[in-house]
Amino acid sequence: MRHLLTAFAFLLVLGTVIVSAQPATLFEQPVLITSAGQSADVTMAGMICKRVKVEAKAAPTATEADLKGFKTLMIVPGFSSKGLGAAGTSREQEMDRIRKVIDAAKKNKMRIMMVHIGGKARRGAQSDDFNELAMVSSEYAIVVKAGDEDGFFAAIAKKHNIPLEAVDRIPDAQKPVEAAFAK
Amino acid sequence: MKLEKHHKSALAALAAAALLGTFATIEFLKMHQPDEIRPSEGLTRTGMLSDYFDWLKGTNGDTPVYYYEGEEPGATVLILGGTHPNEPSGAMAAFVIAENLSVRQGRVIVIPQACMSGYYHTHPLEGQPQFFTVEGRNGPRRFRLGSRAGSSLDQWPDPMVYLHHPSGQRLSGSETRNLNRAYPGRPDGTFTERVAHAIVELIKREQVTVAFDLHEAAPEIPIINAIVVHEKNQDIGAGALLNLEMEGLQYALEISPRNFRGLSHREWGDATDAYAFLMETCNPIQGRLRGVTDEELVVEGVDKNYKTALELGRMRITYDPEGEPLDRRAARHIEAIHQVLNTYNELHPELPVVYEGFPTYVDLTEKGFKEFLN
Repeated sequence: MRHLLTAFAFLLVLGTVIVSAQPATLFEQPVLITSAGQSADVTMAGMICKRVKVEAKAAPTATEADLKGFKTLMIVPGFSSKGLGAAGTSREQEMDRIRKVIDAAKKNKMRIMMVHIGGKARRGAQSDDFNELAMVSSEYAIVVKAGDEDGFFAAIAKKHNIPLEAVDRIPDAQKPVEAAFAK
Repeated sequence: MKLEKHHKSALAALAAAALLGTFATIEFLKMHQPDEIRPSEGLTRTGMLSDYFDWLKGTNGDTPVYYYEGEEPGATVLILGGTHPNEPSGAMAAFVIAENLSVRQGRVIVIPQACMSGYYHTHPLEGQPQFFTVEGRNGPRRFRLGSRAGSSLDQWPDPMVYLHHPSGQRLSGSETRNLNRAYPGRPDGTFTERVAHAIVELIKREQVTVAFDLHEAAPEIPIINAIVVHEKNQDIGAGALLNLEMEGLQYALEISPRNFRGLSHREWGDATDAYAFLMETCNPIQGRLRGVTDEELVVEGVDKNYKTALELGRMRITYDPEGEPLDRRAARHIEAIHQVLNTYNELHPELPVVYEGFPTYVDLTEKGFKEFLN
């Protein structure tokens, strides 16, 4: 009996852990995917959505006006100097843009999720402002583990009670993205 | 007439100079002997780059072009190695493909040594070997290792500042002989611009759908193990990266900057209908930190200085302490090409390319060139 109770308690704890890594309710489509920092990871996120048949549009430099018609905002953070150069914008302008997009999405009752797939390359002083802003603004986050070896995202998730799904590799993000959306 | 002592010394010095000069000339001319390619049975025809721009005929800019054509119509793929002849994994990947490929639908065009002029010399003051040897199916195969730029004998002098045509972008004068700063080229331009023009003409006339330019970079350059894509084909690049990750190969996706002109991933995409991809692997012989630069470093890629730097935590990229061997670098290119084409076929089923004979990454790394060079 004691063993059974122990096993039951273990399963209960495990179940809680698993549930905590899921969003409270499923997200809705269509999805607008935007960058925070202009890395090419936004393109990867677009391909992930395409592969799991989630209706999405990647708009790396989206503004508040682009949110119309979308039910979910997916933010893909990560700084890229090349990306900023290609977009013809500065780090400060990019931060200002993403703040406005997040504010407008919340005002429009859109739901927000974050997908960080760039690993170590999209961490550090240049990226972490974008990472933090995207994370604290989201209801759900998916992170490739290499980008959270120091527990940066896990700590924010714990502090703000945000479900966080950590995956080993970029393609592994397909499963939680698929699971997060209502069909 | 009796010679004075200083006359004898002068004659001895002249004789020594003539001897050394003769030896150096023989060594220099060895680099004019073409590398041998033994194409697969899937080869349907061969041509020359000058077929697309007559001016190149008989010059050091002309280079062989190999065509593999399927029986059914489909996409046309161009694979370019040797844009920078001191980055050997691209040319070796192209050789391996050319010696094993068979196409069922569509076409694959292979140019293993795009900058042939660069194969006629090594880069001054770099101390790099002229040749390297790898084992093939039927014994050793020797290949040339050239310079990043075309030869000064073909284009001289270098200007102080290189103005890219048509953008007017200013670069160092030394870049004027760099093929990958010369696109789209022009028919009445410099020697290098004319080679670039011929390649762009090939892409246009053959209606190339997907085009690859294979490169390498020094271990300390962050763009290593990256795929650079023109923005119009970034979704194909993203899909390929997902596939490569599934295979356990990490790559970074970089979108071609609009304001960095003259490079294949920018100008091919802008000037033609082709989806342009440039790929980079890790080449220790290009690094500033490297030690002795010999054939072994070219083929095995083991350098103790980089190992030390890695142990000290000074490397921004992953460097394998066991080395970066040439067969593995070529295997990365081949696998990346394969995954780009898989994704292209997935997204464009109306005009696919179907082929066989590409070795897998695992096959080439485990068996080496010995199983895949004829």
